[in-house]
Amino acid sequence: MTRLNYKIIVFIMGLLLLFNGGFMSTSAVVSAIYGEPEGWYILLAAAIAVLIGGIAMYFTRDHVKVLQKKEGYLIVTFGWLIMAFAGTMPYMFTGAITSYTDAFFETMSGFTTTGASIMTDIEAMPKGILFWRSLTHWIGGMGIIVLAVAILPLLGIGGMQLFAAEAPGPSGDKLHPRITDTAKRLWIIYVGFTGIEAVLLKLAGMGWFDAINHALSTLSTGGFSTKNASIAYWNDTPLIQWIIIVFMFIAGANFVLSYFAIKGQFKKIARDTEFKWYASFAIGFSALGAILIYLYANVSTSSIGHPMVWGELESALRHSSFQVLAVMTTTGFVSADYTMWSPFLTIMFFGLFFVGGSAGSTAGGIKVVRHIILIRNGIMEFKRTLHPNAILPVRFNNRAVAPQIVFNVLGFFILYMLSFIVGAVGLAALGLDFETAIGGSLTSLGNVGPAFGKLSPVDNFAWLPTLGKWWCAFLMLIGRLELFTVLILFTPFFWRNR
Amino acid sequence: MKIIIAGAGEVGFHLAKLLSYESQDITLIDPVKENLYYADTHLDIRTLRGDSTSIKILNDAHVGEADLVIAVTSSETTNITICVLSKQLGAKRTIARIANTEFIENQESIGFSKFGIDELISPEMLASREIELLLSQSAFNDSYEFEDGALTMIGVTLPRTASFVGKSVKEASLILPEIHFMPIAIQRFGTQYTLIPRDDTQYKEGDQVYFMTSQDGVDELYKLTGKTKRNIKNVMILGGSNIGRQTAIILSEMGINVKLLEVNASKAFDLADALPEVLVINGDGRNVDLLQEENIHEMDAFIAVTGNSETNIISCLMAKSKSVNKTVALVENMDYFQISHNIGVDTLINKKLLAANNIFRFIRKGEVVAMTKLNSMNAELLEFVVKPHSEACNKLIKDIDLSRSAIIGGVVRNGEGYTVVDELTIRDGDRVVVCCLPKAIAKVEKLFL
Repeated sequence: MTRLNYKIIVFIMGLLLLFNGGFMSTSAVVSAIYGEPEGWYILLAAAIAVLIGGIAMYFTRDHVKVLQKKEGYLIVTFGWLIMAFAGTMPYMFTGAITSYTDAFFETMSGFTTTGASIMTDIEAMPKGILFWRSLTHWIGGMGIIVLAVAILPLLGIGGMQLFAAEAPGPSGDKLHPRITDTAKRLWIIYVGFTGIEAVLLKLAGMGWFDAINHALSTLSTGGFSTKNASIAYWNDTPLIQWIIIVFMFIAGANFVLSYFAIKGQFKKIARDTEFKWYASFAIGFSALGAILIYLYANVSTSSIGHPMVWGELESALRHSSFQVLAVMTTTGFVSADYTMWSPFLTIMFFGLFFVGGSAGSTAGGIKVVRHIILIRNGIMEFKRTLHPNAILPVRFNNRAVAPQIVFNVLGFFILYMLSFIVGAVGLAALGLDFETAIGGSLTSLGNVGPAFGKLSPVDNFAWLPTLGKWWCAFLMLIGRLELFTVLILFTPFFWRNR
Repeated sequence: MKIIIAGAGEVGFHLAKLLSYESQDITLIDPVKENLYYADTHLDIRTLRGDSTSIKILNDAHVGEADLVIAVTSSETTNITICVLSKQLGAKRTIARIANTEFIENQESIGFSKFGIDELISPEMLASREIELLLSQSAFNDSYEFEDGALTMIGVTLPRTASFVGKSVKEASLILPEIHFMPIAIQRFGTQYTLIPRDDTQYKEGDQVYFMTSQDGVDELYKLTGKTKRNIKNVMILGGSNIGRQTAIILSEMGINVKLLEVNASKAFDLADALPEVLVINGDGRNVDLLQEENIHEMDAFIAVTGNSETNIISCLMAKSKSVNKTVALVENMDYFQISHNIGVDTLINKKLLAANNIFRFIRKGEVVAMTKLNSMNAELLEFVVKPHSEACNKLIKDIDLSRSAIIGGVVRNGEGYTVVDELTIRDGDRVVVCCLPKAIAKVEKLFL
């Protein structure tokens, strides 16, 4: 390996722009359906994206089809960046967002499936723009699936090789020998679930536009809503919220397991360690939250209404599960303000920000599998002091995890914590208070959406200083791309030849 | 019977030796001249130099007329190939020695007989079964069950505390008339000479004595020999080879705490991966500090099964010195067997010997039901089904002339075991267990068959 294969990098960037343009034009179609003049501007944005993409691909069509690890890192990082930059065009051209910083923040928040928004009056936005906003989530989710099944295992980042793997190793859990086939199968599941959720939401009482938008942003664990009040808008329709709860759970679970479920192989799911932990976390914290809300929380202090359509207990359980899953799976929908319930619950949710979904899902955060490995490795450390010469591997899915992967996960965890702290320090330097700085850093890094303090579920990010928005967008990107992928580009040895 | 043995390694040679005593028609094939030379000069067999997977060589060995082809080269795939070829060329029965225990576990589903392999023998598996049996009767250093335990043969070294040390066989049986046990072979301390006891033979301290006993006699023998039955709870195994691994699996399934020492780090990791119940330790078993760190003095048994016989013996001696009650060493070199009891290791096992005995048993199927060689002794145990027209049939046992080279250890009739059977009349269909010196095998066979 002597020189970076720039041609293939540019070629793939062009390809991504083509995709981006294609999806933009669907937003233009949505605009057209609602008779909005903004549709033309969105179409223009799409045309520019396609044109630039096409030109880039044309001039690099003679690229050599060889990808090394280095090219992999560059493609992933710059791919997301190019998407985010191109994705600002619809906002800018239509004038929906006037500041470029805001537009970039919104697109990055979309493509990284974070769901933090700078829009103050969402409902006033053109439908085409709202649809594009939800689409950025959904495209980001698709990208993450490819990232999860094909790219990260190859690059060997932070134990992402594991998944629900039968055999731990660089192969990950291949459903099919060829990675593209695997990705395609998972995409079909992803698209299928999105369709099912949209139909169910419609049946439960949403309009088609809202139903499709929310389905797009649930499956990608994004969090953009078409309503100013987010999902709290439907607090009087528990069924809608329960549907979203279920689909958040699905989106935060490994998509490979969904594939097994569809094929009827439920045993494989029951055997999967990560799923067991993920489900126990979700159910356990939901139940704990529900009890505490039912007994102690004074919901009337919240600015969000809590109509108890199906009784107080159901309401407590629903809001608890909804928020637990919204935070755990890093979706970030809001049905209630979890910072207003009780100090204990606020701390509990703060903890949940670190959990994340399962590996192989569209969720961000540290992810359950890494916690399992960290905890088990911690327990093993005690045993290791008693038997210094014993081989005491961390076991996951009944197989020993290679020490290399454990180190990888430890490294990831430490880097995550450092990034979180540095992120918070950065925000505090810009004048944010303690709680808000910590919350803003954590929610950006974990791609969740709402945070704490002045960035609580009922606030938004519009008031952040310009630099703060770029800083948060950067945190979103590194968090989304599992830290190493982006941060390695800042190391001198990456750019050195050999 | 015409038998072809492919592979003149230790198993092949030992088999050829056992079989040649019975004047079978044996052809031994091996590509290495030196391996054949010793067999050729010492045994009454035909040797053939060449590759046993060569059809020409197999034809030269007259495989078409062979009653049995035994493939015991060190390579499992070669053995399988030899068996498949031989069967196609007309051999009546085939036995292949294999190393992969998966083959034996899935014998039914794969259907090896369809390919032309009638029997699979895995020395490693036999060795780990042997270890399991030895541990389940920890006070004894050898044991073998006949007819699902109707009769049990056990070997024990007599301690000073044994109540019948210094007494003759007759006197000993008078002390406890209600207990049925029959001494069948004795090796005096410090000698390598096996004797078949008679009424006047005296038990001495340090004797290695083999007894036949019926089902409930095993527990009573504990009392008599002054040994206490100890439940094995903690076992240390040295060496993560095939045998170590198998043994660890078997023992941990029995609920025993197993520590497995393996010197190779990546092999140790694979073992830890495959055996979640076993504590795998990466280190050299000859390192005393390591053994002490892993609490060797708390072990009930120490099993050394590395590929190196000397390491195994030395580490067992070390374990003995740390007051481990029971030590078992895997030994490749047959010569060490002679001195095993003198040096203090409880039991030596040799997987090749086990394999050879097992194959021998298979060959004699139908006539001799079961047979085993007494560990460290030059004597064999044979089980016969008495034929109606045989010489011994319908005779009182005490009237059967066995001279001093054989003894009837017991009789199994209708599933019930009997020992001390002087007054019993042998009937058609009885299963008789006889202990005899090799020179008397042919004579004993004639009596019962």
